[in-house]
Amino acid sequence: MRAVDQVFELILRLYPTAFRRQYGDEMRAFVRARLAEPRYAPPWGRLRLVSHLVADGVAGAVRQQLAARVSFSSPSGATPGRQSPLPDNEPPEELMPTLVHDARYAVRTLRRRPAFTIVSAITLALGIGATAAIFGVIDSMLFRPLRYPAPEQIVMVSMTRGGSLREAPAYPDFLDWREQSRSFQSLAATRTQSVNLTGRETPERLSGNFVSASLLSLLGAEPLAGRLFAYDETEVGTASPVAVISEGLWRRRFGADPATVGSVIVLNGQPFTVIGIVPSTFAFFGGTEVYLPITYYPNNGGLTRKDHSMAVVGRLRPGVTLASADAEMRAIATRLAEQFPVENAGSGAHVESLHTLLVGDIRAPLYIVMGAVTLLLLIACANVANLQLSHAVARRREMSVRSALGAGRGRLARQLLTESTILSALGGLLGVAVAYGGVGLLIKIIPIDLTFFSPIRVDGRVMAFAALVSIVTGIVFGLAPALHASRTNLNDALSTRAGGLAGRVRGIEMRGVFVVVQLALSIVLLIGAGLLSRTLVKLQQVDLGFDPSNLLTMEFRLPAAKYSQPRQISDFFTRAIAEIRSVPGVRSAALVRAVPLSGNSDARAYAVGGAAEPEKGRAPILQLNTVSSGYFRTIGVPLVSGRDVNEHDDADAPPVVVVNETFARREWPNASALGHRIRFVDSDRWLTVVGVARDAKHFGPADQPTPQAYIPYMQAPQIFTSVVVRANLEANALGPLVREAIWRVDRDQPVWKIRTMDSLVANTLGSKRVLLALVGAFASVALLLAGVGIFGVMSFAVTQRTHEVGVRMALGASGGEVLRLIVGQGLRLTSVALLLGLGAALGATRLIASQLFGVTPSDPVTFATVPLVLCAVAALACYLPARRASRLDPLTALRRE
Amino acid sequence: MRSREPRPADFLPLTPAVLHILLALADGEQHGYAIAQAVEALTEGTVRMGPGTLYGSIGRMVAGGLIEESIRPRGRAADDDRRRFYRMTALGRRVLESETERLARVVALARTKNVLRRPEPA
Repeated sequence: MRAVDQVFELILRLYPTAFRRQYGDEMRAFVRARLAEPRYAPPWGRLRLVSHLVADGVAGAVRQQLAARVSFSSPSGATPGRQSPLPDNEPPEELMPTLVHDARYAVRTLRRRPAFTIVSAITLALGIGATAAIFGVIDSMLFRPLRYPAPEQIVMVSMTRGGSLREAPAYPDFLDWREQSRSFQSLAATRTQSVNLTGRETPERLSGNFVSASLLSLLGAEPLAGRLFAYDETEVGTASPVAVISEGLWRRRFGADPATVGSVIVLNGQPFTVIGIVPSTFAFFGGTEVYLPITYYPNNGGLTRKDHSMAVVGRLRPGVTLASADAEMRAIATRLAEQFPVENAGSGAHVESLHTLLVGDIRAPLYIVMGAVTLLLLIACANVANLQLSHAVARRREMSVRSALGAGRGRLARQLLTESTILSALGGLLGVAVAYGGVGLLIKIIPIDLTFFSPIRVDGRVMAFAALVSIVTGIVFGLAPALHASRTNLNDALSTRAGGLAGRVRGIEMRGVFVVVQLALSIVLLIGAGLLSRTLVKLQQVDLGFDPSNLLTMEFRLPAAKYSQPRQISDFFTRAIAEIRSVPGVRSAALVRAVPLSGNSDARAYAVGGAAEPEKGRAPILQLNTVSSGYFRTIGVPLVSGRDVNEHDDADAPPVVVVNETFARREWPNASALGHRIRFVDSDRWLTVVGVARDAKHFGPADQPTPQAYIPYMQAPQIFTSVVVRANLEANALGPLVREAIWRVDRDQPVWKIRTMDSLVANTLGSKRVLLALVGAFASVALLLAGVGIFGVMSFAVTQRTHEVGVRMALGASGGEVLRLIVGQGLRLTSVALLLGLGAALGATRLIASQLFGVTPSDPVTFATVPLVLCAVAALACYLPARRASRLDPLTALRRE
Repeated sequence: MRSREPRPADFLPLTPAVLHILLALADGEQHGYAIAQAVEALTEGTVRMGPGTLYGSIGRMVAGGLIEESIRPRGRAADDDRRRFYRMTALGRRVLESETERLARVVALARTKNVLRRPEPA
């Protein structure tokens, strides 16, 4: 009911203000009464009513607009002869038969002009299709609920610390939260981490998710076979080695064998019984292949209060609001902070909806792309309106004759509107095909985990959107030509000089307006694309602090069961590194816990020896990495002073640490850092600074300088590690050789994420790249359309001014002067467009400021370059027709009149 | 600047919408939606007017003096949110009569030319 009302409000806007003021309320009441009729109650009836209201309303509006214009024009506008006492009296006609007639006539007209029809339909199809495809993505991510049952109840509970709202809690925090809170139907802990599958032909790394039992049930998972976890199976003390696997893994690795449920598989070196299979329609965090009880989560610290690595998902009780759940959790966290002053001081809790968390960072880029595609659609409309206008001018004869035969202005206008609507409907149909392709492409290129969202596809909503856009489009680009045609002056048009001067000038003026609009909108798009590409360049130019060329990285993890002692782990690492270094083509190799730009990271609160003990919960944070000897040399981070970690920094030697320059400057601004001591606040071990390294980016080029520290692997052995290899030549080819080298030490090691550093660098730019690709593509099409637009108008103007040019040349004007005259006219249009476009761009680019890096929204380089590009295109588009004019033979030109 | 009183003949022929609105108002004053309902009933559903056509025509007819707004009738006012009722003017009634006569003449003429199908015997 509201939708119909809203549509009708839009229709009412089309009416002259005076009319709306007088009859608007009555008409609204009329529509409400219609809506109450039972025959319009079913969906089909609604549709019929809406289409009737639109047809009736738009036709009526055009009529009222024309009537209003006539009554405001000068008295001389009155035609001689009998004047009807009913203003704007039209020949008797009924609406529907007229529409059918108009439509038939329009189809005939369009078929007579196939080139025009095809070009217009394709232009519109691109605009409508691209808009619909982008809408499909936005609809799925922002407007539709997530793909879980009652998704509005699903929330993420995070720990707050310092200024950060989204820190990971520790497992005991989760247990306390679960026990003390009343806001949730259930609360579940989850931790994604890869899992080694062994005991079969080839070891394999699976993407795993360590969960508490309620995670699967609160997300509404239903087993395809077997069952899900029971509560006790995932709790400390009562846990049992059971696993739930995904349908994908079941089909891929177990050949969809029904006996898989109940069988035993070896994960992380330990046997687990498969109890159930979840269907591929269920997904949470990418493509999880195996779910294991959280109690089997392999980490150093165990599930202690120090190990902050959980994500906590909850389902609110019905009727509980986010705000009240958040308030309850904050109160609980405050109590915990007092209870556990060492680990929890200064921390709180924060509840937010899963949907908000997921779309937080992607909302802005999505709206930017939607804005860009809308601009493109408007440009496409302006282009087609221009084509229509040129035909309207060419069709003046036809219109005049029909007018002389008694067709009213409204009738002619309606005829043209019908034509444009049919054209846009055609564009819309083709546009749906474009949308299909576009959605397929977008799903491939957008670097976002889509598993949470309802599937992106061209469905009823996208179709409805495309239909709505088509209708609006048809009206937008059809209205101007229709109004223009309706003002055709009969006498002018039928006089011997076909196409009277007045109408001709008006036609060109109107087309000029469209060209200016097109060019101005293109400038906005081009500037947006320009700023984004400058951002990308700036990001690529950032000094990462290390040398990414010819670097190969890969990750692997030792099975905890087999390598339970630190000594075993260090022995393995020592032998593996030696094997890798012996591979031909390897210049150097080292181990590192978190490869830069890989997304892995660790952070610790620290205290400095000799300084005052930091307040609980206020200790400064550093970025921690664990490295083997040779790491700095391998990755290309120069040491500023002191030494690298080496083979002698083992468990028996005094603990050491290498810090970065930012760290050293911050803590010891006036002295050398070497010899000073630091410790992590959750440990009593003091580490001595033995070296200072240059700053290196860890998450991406846009990182701010952060205190960083590196500790040697031998003093902090971990089963999880990565290898970095500096190759003599092409790094990619070394992958299999390095993996073989690791397998020579121990066969039971899946090795994964074999990637070059170059590809990691490219990854960090991924989303920006896609944003630029989309906006850039739209901007290029826009520029092309605008160029075609101005070319069309100038060609038309030249044809129309043939006579004038002939006279000028006969009176002695040179070809060059004519050229300047015509190009000058085009460039005048362009300069108006430049002023408007640059003004609009100055406003619009503020909206994309969040996506920029290293350039301001009013970046002078971009704002200077884009006008040059546009002027060049416009000059070319004007030059071609102008050259034709300058080569006119005056005699031929004059004879043509 | 009106030099003379408009004569009914000046308005002819009427558009179907105007004719039907006049016919609907022949029985007394009505509000817009009721007019549309009446027209649909009188024509057995063949003429269905939307708000654009209806109020467009009403606007022109008021301007032409064929109908006028009336004070809301007593009694049914309180809960009725449609505030404007319309009734036929004397001029409107004469125009309707003239149009009906004209149509009757057209029908008679058609009969003499044998273009009108005779009603089927019951």
